[in-house]
Amino acid sequence: MTGPMATIDAELPADTPSSREKDERDQLVTSHLGLAHQLARRFGNRGEAHDDLVQVASLALVRAAERFDPDRGIMFSTFAAASIIGELKRHFRDRGWAVRAPRRLQELLLEIGSTVDRLGQELGRAPTVPELAQTIGATEADVLEALEAGQSYRTSSLDARDREGQTMADSLGSEDTGFTSVENHSALTQAMDTLSARDRRIVQLRFVDGLSQSEIAARLGVSQMQISRLLAASLRQLRSNIDARDRPPRS
Amino acid sequence: MNAMTAEQRQTSAREVIEISFPGSVEFVVLARFTAATIGARAGFDLDEIDDLRLAVDELSVSFGPLDGHTGLRYEFLRQGETVSVRCTREPIEGAEGGFQAEREVINWQQARELSEQLLDELVTAHGREVTAGRSVAWLTKHRGSTVR
Repeated sequence: MTGPMATIDAELPADTPSSREKDERDQLVTSHLGLAHQLARRFGNRGEAHDDLVQVASLALVRAAERFDPDRGIMFSTFAAASIIGELKRHFRDRGWAVRAPRRLQELLLEIGSTVDRLGQELGRAPTVPELAQTIGATEADVLEALEAGQSYRTSSLDARDREGQTMADSLGSEDTGFTSVENHSALTQAMDTLSARDRRIVQLRFVDGLSQSEIAARLGVSQMQISRLLAASLRQLRSNIDARDRPPRS
Repeated sequence: MNAMTAEQRQTSAREVIEISFPGSVEFVVLARFTAATIGARAGFDLDEIDDLRLAVDELSVSFGPLDGHTGLRYEFLRQGETVSVRCTREPIEGAEGGFQAEREVINWQQARELSEQLLDELVTAHGREVTAGRSVAWLTKHRGSTVR
């Protein structure tokens, strides 16, 4: 190779990949992105946003391309698939649950999540625990236990795009115009300054506009359980911020 | 646990559950879970149960941060489709001064105002009082009474 690129390559340290190697790696990644998407889809419907899974799978694909050694006689697609599946499994193991819940509760919670929204549409209101238990075929105690365990499940990304290509952030809007007219929520409004725009909006819809969690979920196109977790986490953060400001500095 | 019909809920005898624990974040899950259970027995839907759980969180911090220096005693009462919760601050023997000292914090007023605003939306009625020399925070929530 001659010209400017050759000069740049010549200046790279010995263990830095050349531009040709980079090109080859990029080509491997580009030509196998479909595989990453396909594997991400296989791990769908488990409570994580599809775009999050695609991101995990894509990063695993890039790392696989960096580590791939053609001299070992393994096809890249085989090597990459194993790497991606391993990374997706780790994602669910390490990041899905802030506090590890028993598998039966995790599975029950996933079933509850889809059933809550379906029943909610049928009934025109949030379902009750007996209705959920009966539909799923679980006991009410199990449903209650799973719902409590669900509070320790991390919220999925709300930046995932829906069928229309909109993210939840899009539907939330960038301006919290509702706040300016709410004079009688001063403490809440002031405390909410510490929240992200997304969380502020959800807290506003619940505590200023008076929407139920199901109504917020329907308006934003996400599940009631996501709203439940986000609201609980936002209120914890509000209290934590106030408490932190309360405490005198440590000497 | 068998599902109760609305009629059974209306007529069944009152249920009382009492629990006490050190005022630490780790234990508040017990109060939330109890609230959810008794709310379900009162026929609350999931929105109402979540509201009740959030409201119980607010009661838990009524007397200051959950630093383990104060004990909390909860009384959950279900009567028909109404749930009442009383949270009483109690001393912990040997705890370092937390009970005697009123919370002296710069933002206490703001914290309290915030809690009251949240509770306004979450429950039917709520308040604070002193009973037998103990500070008590309480709430009541009726089924189908979500504030709009």
